[in-house]
Amino acid sequence: MRAATFQGKGHIEVRQMPDPKIVNPRDAIVEVTSTAICGSDLHLYDGVIPGVEKDDILGHEFMGRVVDVGRESTLTIGQRVVVPFTIFCGQCFQCADQRYSACDNSCPVENQQVAEKAFGYPLAGMFGYSHLTGGYAGGQAELVRVPYSDVIPQIVPDDIPDDRLLFLSDILPTGWMAALNAEIEPGDTIAVWGCGPVGLFSILSAFHQGAGRVIAIDGVPGRLAMAEGLGAEPVNFHETDILDGLMQMTGGVGPDAVIDAIGMESHGFSIDNIADRIKQTVGMGQDRAHVLRQAILACRKGGRVSVPGVYGGKADLFPLGALMQKGLQLRTGQTHVRRYTEELLDMIERDVIDPSFLISHRLPLDDAARGYRNFRDHQDDWIKVVMQP
Amino acid sequence: MNLANWARYGLAATLATAAGGVLMIRRPTHANHDAAPARSARHARRFGDYRVTGATVSIRATPEQILDCWQSDPQLWRDLEYLPIPEGNQPDLLLPSAELRAMASRPLLIRIVTRREGELIAWASEGDDHADMHGRMRLHDNGAKGIAVEVIMAVRPRDFASTLKTEAMMAEALKLGILRDLRRMKMLIETGEIATARMRPDAA
Repeated sequence: MRAATFQGKGHIEVRQMPDPKIVNPRDAIVEVTSTAICGSDLHLYDGVIPGVEKDDILGHEFMGRVVDVGRESTLTIGQRVVVPFTIFCGQCFQCADQRYSACDNSCPVENQQVAEKAFGYPLAGMFGYSHLTGGYAGGQAELVRVPYSDVIPQIVPDDIPDDRLLFLSDILPTGWMAALNAEIEPGDTIAVWGCGPVGLFSILSAFHQGAGRVIAIDGVPGRLAMAEGLGAEPVNFHETDILDGLMQMTGGVGPDAVIDAIGMESHGFSIDNIADRIKQTVGMGQDRAHVLRQAILACRKGGRVSVPGVYGGKADLFPLGALMQKGLQLRTGQTHVRRYTEELLDMIERDVIDPSFLISHRLPLDDAARGYRNFRDHQDDWIKVVMQP
Repeated sequence: MNLANWARYGLAATLATAAGGVLMIRRPTHANHDAAPARSARHARRFGDYRVTGATVSIRATPEQILDCWQSDPQLWRDLEYLPIPEGNQPDLLLPSAELRAMASRPLLIRIVTRREGELIAWASEGDDHADMHGRMRLHDNGAKGIAVEVIMAVRPRDFASTLKTEAMMAEALKLGILRDLRRMKMLIETGEIATARMRPDAA
């Protein structure tokens, strides 16, 4: 099969790889019909997430049709499924409480040690997202082995096109959970840093969950325009002192909740971000956490901080004093995707949400390298890339 | 600063250093090892000649299911690295698994020495005068998290730490190996399979 593979920092190549087969009884093999490049794939592409090896197959946003099943799978051949990026067993203590991204059993023991040293515990498995999360092959390929196929995939109807369903695999539930973590009350003002796909879905979700106002912060005019199209008030950080701007826009109170949809690769020329970038470049640190620092400072006293953005290491100058003294609540985590897919699928079926507005480019899988390059380097118009194998 | 001041400050620094040194030497050692749970004591992970290490996991199953998996599931046995496995026909004997065999400097005969139904199995290797290795698996209730399964193994470094592995490396390998074995057992019991990222049954 053909698959988009990591060949080194900034180097993606579509290569011929062996077809996956059923390994465990609960496995299924899915023939991919659509797959997308996620903003967090760029962390792998840029080499800031450790544990990515040459020839690793990338991609954790994908959907397709079942072409083979293990003896314990409940899927049937030909069924159409969206596959959540978090791999979970469905039986452990964490899964019993729907904390799927904290599953105890889905990361192979051989790949647990680095994460255990770095984070205190091994992580759950994820598709195509480094050996820190299990080393599973990803979905930017013609075929994917899907473990625990009796619990992970979301079965979807045949009459809805891929474009409207694909983002159930990650970014739509991620935006939804980001808004839930912000614990929005009716009429709240929410500030969202980052108008990439997750940020835009966070904005959309915040309005659906009752926000009165959403302030969208980014430095890319095209993305700010999309946020404005969703009803948010755009603020360009190149032109605005963010802390001052947010105080003015909220009558001196500050946003009720803040959402960091950026994560470990903050942009901008603030001193802390420049220092972080230097440390990241020389390997002394992994996270450029400027946005998180700013969001914590901007949030009103007693407010909520939601962090869907991906972080992988440690951040200096973290404003712990502001977090504590202002009585903020911080909620974060990889998305428990499958907890939300039924509800979101229902909203898609009822035309309450149509996530396909996000797609800016469609490419064949063979153009994956161009897709990655442009998605990173031309953020103004390359909002979301969907590929068809 | 004149010479007299240098001498004064130098003398003060020397006296302070000496006093500190005396205090360090006279300071009582961390004698109360019992304050730390078993193998987690910071200052003494030895018990006599033995190096003590181990791991704990919680499994959502009954004690009987857990012991049954360990004692009779060949799928688990294939993957175990350090946890000994039951010897087919002799209920009192355990077979050292592959890594444990490779680590020991001589053949190991491991015999079950204590068995408390649904609660504890303890074993020891048979040696010339005393055992090269002791171990035990203890099960206790951990509420909604399931049954806590703790394995502790005590080995004599001179019989396990080869010239290629120092005592600390041996203990670390053993600790990691036991943890991995217990997690494999947890996976198998809770999910019916052991997680793997392999794309094909025949892949490395």
